Amino acid sequence: MARADVAVVGAGLAGLTAAIQLAEAGARVQVMATGHAATHWAPGGIDAGALPGSRTSLDAVERLARLEGHPYAFLADGLPDALAWLRSALGAEGLDLVGELTDPLRAIPTAIGSTRLAAILPDGMAAALPAWTAGETLVVCGPAGFRDFWPDAIAAGLRRPSTWRGHPRPARVEALTVELPGLAGRHNLSSLDLARFFDDPDWRATALEAIARALEGRPQEPGRIALPAVLGLHDHPAALAAARERLPLAPFEVALVPPSVPGLRLFAALRATLRRLGGRLQVGEAVHGVIGADGRVAELRAPAAAREFVLTAGAIVLATGGIAGGGIVAERAGSLVESVLGLPVDGPERGDWLLVDPFDPAGHPLEAAGIRTDVRLRPVAPGALERPLAENVRIAGSLLAGQRFLRQRCGDGVAIASGRLAALELRGSGSAPRSAAVVGAGREARS
Amino acid sequence: MTIAELVTRAAGASSDPLVGLSADECLKCNVCTTVCPVARVTDLFPGPKYVGPQAQRFRLGTILAPGSGELSVVRSPDQSVDYCSGCGFCTTACPADVKIAEMNSRARAASRSSHRPRLRDWLLGQTDLTGRLGVLTAPLANRAFGNGLFRMLVDRVIRIDRRAPLPPFSRRTFRSRLGRHRRSAWSADAPSPERAVVYFHGCAANYYEPHVGQAAIDVLERNGFAVIVPPQVCCGLPLISNGLYRQARGRARTNLAVLAGYARAGYRIVGTSTSCTHTIKAEYREMLDIDDADARAVAEATWDICEFLLDLHEQGRLDTHFGTLDRTLPYHAPCQLRSHGIGLPALDLFELVPGLRAVDMDHDCCGIAGTYGLKSEKYEIAMAVGEPLFERVRQSGASQAACDSETCRWQIEKATGTSLRHPVEILAEAYAAGDREAIRADPPDAAAVSRSTRR
Repeated sequence: MARADVAVVGAGLAGLTAAIQLAEAGARVQVMATGHAATHWAPGGIDAGALPGSRTSLDAVERLARLEGHPYAFLADGLPDALAWLRSALGAEGLDLVGELTDPLRAIPTAIGSTRLAAILPDGMAAALPAWTAGETLVVCGPAGFRDFWPDAIAAGLRRPSTWRGHPRPARVEALTVELPGLAGRHNLSSLDLARFFDDPDWRATALEAIARALEGRPQEPGRIALPAVLGLHDHPAALAAARERLPLAPFEVALVPPSVPGLRLFAALRATLRRLGGRLQVGEAVHGVIGADGRVAELRAPAAAREFVLTAGAIVLATGGIAGGGIVAERAGSLVESVLGLPVDGPERGDWLLVDPFDPAGHPLEAAGIRTDVRLRPVAPGALERPLAENVRIAGSLLAGQRFLRQRCGDGVAIASGRLAALELRGSGSAPRSAAVVGAGREARS
Repeated sequence: MTIAELVTRAAGASSDPLVGLSADECLKCNVCTTVCPVARVTDLFPGPKYVGPQAQRFRLGTILAPGSGELSVVRSPDQSVDYCSGCGFCTTACPADVKIAEMNSRARAASRSSHRPRLRDWLLGQTDLTGRLGVLTAPLANRAFGNGLFRMLVDRVIRIDRRAPLPPFSRRTFRSRLGRHRRSAWSADAPSPERAVVYFHGCAANYYEPHVGQAAIDVLERNGFAVIVPPQVCCGLPLISNGLYRQARGRARTNLAVLAGYARAGYRIVGTSTSCTHTIKAEYREMLDIDDADARAVAEATWDICEFLLDLHEQGRLDTHFGTLDRTLPYHAPCQLRSHGIGLPALDLFELVPGLRAVDMDHDCCGIAGTYGLKSEKYEIAMAVGEPLFERVRQSGASQAACDSETCRWQIEKATGTSLRHPVEILAEAYAAGDREAIRADPPDAAAVSRSTRR
């Protein structure tokens, strides 16, 4: 049996935000996660909100906050503080975020030659943000033999004016495929492999040299160069600095299909922060718990190898994700089930799961499925908003009902604002005293 | 034949429906690849997703043989699954609960089942045989294995790398040092399950590190438990790792036959080798398909020793009269321990020892992965996997480090020159230090003396 003041279920952005802020407040925190997902899949920027017609993230957040049932209704006020905190936490680990909630949303190139709207990006992607000026060229550059980034196809998409959705766009888009050193004859070449190569100062010097040489002979005109997001995994700041120094055009990274290297950097930074504060992270088993007659959840249980692993906690944060992250499971029989406590899910009936138009612009009703809460993030039944179902449980992140993170681009904003609020709510939650104090760094039990 | 019949027959043709069909849950997200220590260092292994769930569709694929209407299994021509070290991180990191490592282990066994095992792989699985022979001829065997020329020959002939860590054999087995009463099989007159535990020493403590077994007995007796050491054989893990499932099932059956009686009678089975205890807890079921009442009873009764001691502590029953060990102790959590899903109990126990500053090295894998890093074609991969860990241990400046698994200890010791200890050895040392402190503080006190000499 293990003990924690607060058990956080889920190791995505919401769960780690809550866990770190609780650990900062002196709580003994243990994070339990089935596996890794959100951070390893996400592009690595902070999507706080983007709607058609909204000029800034803040515009979008304010509009979403007025939608009935959207979590921003009670989370929007805390978002600026949550973002400031995240910026400083990541900055301390060498990962800088560029952009503000009040900055204009821009069309950012993607790895399939489309664009997406963004305003807050990691430093490595930030050169994509400033408005394109007349005469500027975009060079889309990728290594030969890399199957997740095809410069010619990407450039073809980005040459179409409609791709840019009315936002400023480059005057010209060029494609450039470069042979990088030491890659010939490899059986496999993933984004992880490339990112690890870029961690090596010698290799990256020759690779950047090869790219710089391929750019020689181009007309001397202003421009930027889009590279796949592989500029270092463990030593990204150094790789980025080297690219900026050696390349004649301002480089920016383009997010790739999972696993996301910028997402891994984000995860690594948050994990390191949590460990330094004595927090624990145990990955590998799905946990479950029961709401007791006293309206509290006293412990969580995980199957483990032979006997259940039992974690006793004074309070619990559920940040397990929505229908995409595994926090909500659709059962064959037609019900939506919350996977840890079996909380009632606010979501569509079985008959509404299949859409007539699979590309309905309103989105899929399952996207918005989730757990309803009161303004203190305590779970409630969909029809009884005033009566919390569990006093010591808080819901955070994509598990919150009423958001459509794919349509509204609000997932990261909701994650950090709810993670922060959950931490504020649960400060001072204690479990039974433990005989020994935490000494030294935190630790991770699996993975 | 209808499609429904085909599907039913195809599912029946798979020997491992639970593990094999979990491939259907795979989202192809590659999270497993991000945590794979082998794919991190070599291009020879494409990563768990590719050799696991992705290749599984070929392995599960069955075709109707022309004419006969019989189903036959399709064999994948890709054998890179052999480079999987079996660390299990892919399974723990998977958000969709796909049993990737288990799938890979089974695939390796299946790919080897069609031909005779190579001598090296067979030999690495026979830990009782090599252990017994080694102990019998210890002075000679240890000289031979310490000899560069001999190791070169072994490398050339059977492909065990000449640089790989092979620990010296003990001159006596752990079992031979025990009193006869402890070695007996299950008997009704053993102390009650409340006051006694069964010790599973495994091959490492028996043939190479009897001092680890002795430390376990000291610490368990110190906490008021009589220690029963019933007859036992290798848990079977080295056989599983080398694809020799049939033999591994034999070892499992032998152990279960002895241990089930104790488990049913309520005794807990405690082991110092975290990979043996994990094998008994999980792999008899997940890999070897032994899922009967005996196996379940034994699995539920089995504890890693640190897990057991921490549980005692949670109940307020652990003797915490530890003396001061004023030192920094780098600690590596082995892959197999992490598959237990019990956290890192050794670190919690170290926190109880005054002065001891245990530091989690926070590295995935030391590389050895049981017998993986001994093989000539994999030695360099294993060393590359472990190098960041070795560097952290060297940087710590500590002369001693701790780890719960024997093969990891040998690997880290060989690579760094640091002396590696099982956590229970550290605890035994802390108890001894506590006894000395008690005597110094109050020399004439007969009670303190008698406590210190109780063992």
